[in-house]
Amino acid sequence: MKFKIYRYNPETDAKPYIQEYQLDRVEPGTMLLAALLRIKDEQDESLSFRRSCGEGVCGSDGMNINGINGLACITSLDSLKQPIEIKPLPGLPVIRDLIIDMDQFYRQYRAVKPYLIVHDPMPEVELTQTPVQREQLDGLYECILCACCSTSCPSFWWNPDKFLGPAALLQASRFIEDSRDQAFEERLAELEGPFKLFRCHTIMNCVQVCPKGLNPTKAIGRIKHKMVTRSL
Amino acid sequence: MSLYVLEGLRPWVIQRVSAVYMALFIIYAAWCYFTADVIGYQPWKSWLYHPFNTSVVGIFIIAVLFHAWIGMRDVVLDYVHNIMLRIFVLGILFGVLIGSALWVFRILLLSVVS
Repeated sequence: MKFKIYRYNPETDAKPYIQEYQLDRVEPGTMLLAALLRIKDEQDESLSFRRSCGEGVCGSDGMNINGINGLACITSLDSLKQPIEIKPLPGLPVIRDLIIDMDQFYRQYRAVKPYLIVHDPMPEVELTQTPVQREQLDGLYECILCACCSTSCPSFWWNPDKFLGPAALLQASRFIEDSRDQAFEERLAELEGPFKLFRCHTIMNCVQVCPKGLNPTKAIGRIKHKMVTRSL
Repeated sequence: MSLYVLEGLRPWVIQRVSAVYMALFIIYAAWCYFTADVIGYQPWKSWLYHPFNTSVVGIFIIAVLFHAWIGMRDVVLDYVHNIMLRIFVLGILFGVLIGSALWVFRILLLSVVS
């Protein structure tokens, strides 16, 4: 099985290059992450990439696989056309090989205040929700912050410092929809302006690549709908 | 109001409302065209000079102007990152749209006073 992998070490390389690897005796059903680990163990220990849980929960091993962002640990080699081209997630600076600098991504995540804001005195036990109120959060809370969506979004590439990106906006929607949150007005007001929310042109790359099957475009639409009903 | 003349939710809503109006107008205009007995300059002129048609055409032009401004402004915001160049391009666009609007409304005004 043939791999073409993006390599770049800013300490030793003048510019990035593509390195080819050949992997033999690959069993059916093997995941891409397992193949990368084998390459690292058997052929080139300098190959660098992030990974942790290995089962699509932590979101560490997001990478561009044959042109589409995804998680290496849940991408079966059987589903990939050869040679398998692997590059870092696009749109963010490369630290080394497949490792990107996610500072910008996390700054945008923090910008939407991804936590409950409650102005009333906190109850002694807990903030309760009805089952219906809880259901409103389905499809919003499951995000693992792998950055596959934001780094596949052309609006994010064009204005990475101003447009919040699908991941952060999905989180914004998650707290706007939360019945326990008391910062509804502030959250919507914070998203006003031409850049933070309204750079989304419903291109829907985010929906295509989300490894958890979430729909950030729909969440962004829900925010816009809330803005319209609030202004009426 | 800011450099971008309308920003955030308002232009997003205007873009959609204007799109719906333009679609309805195009259907109405097409219906008028295909059901007309005679196609020519004079019948078209008398159609345009009817007060109802003058009004709906006037609203259509306003819808086109807003729709074009918001759409082109979005393209400029996405692709033109140098702030001075962005102001220049938006200024040119604004001038062209306002000029076109004045030209069209001069024609429509002539229809009202004639």
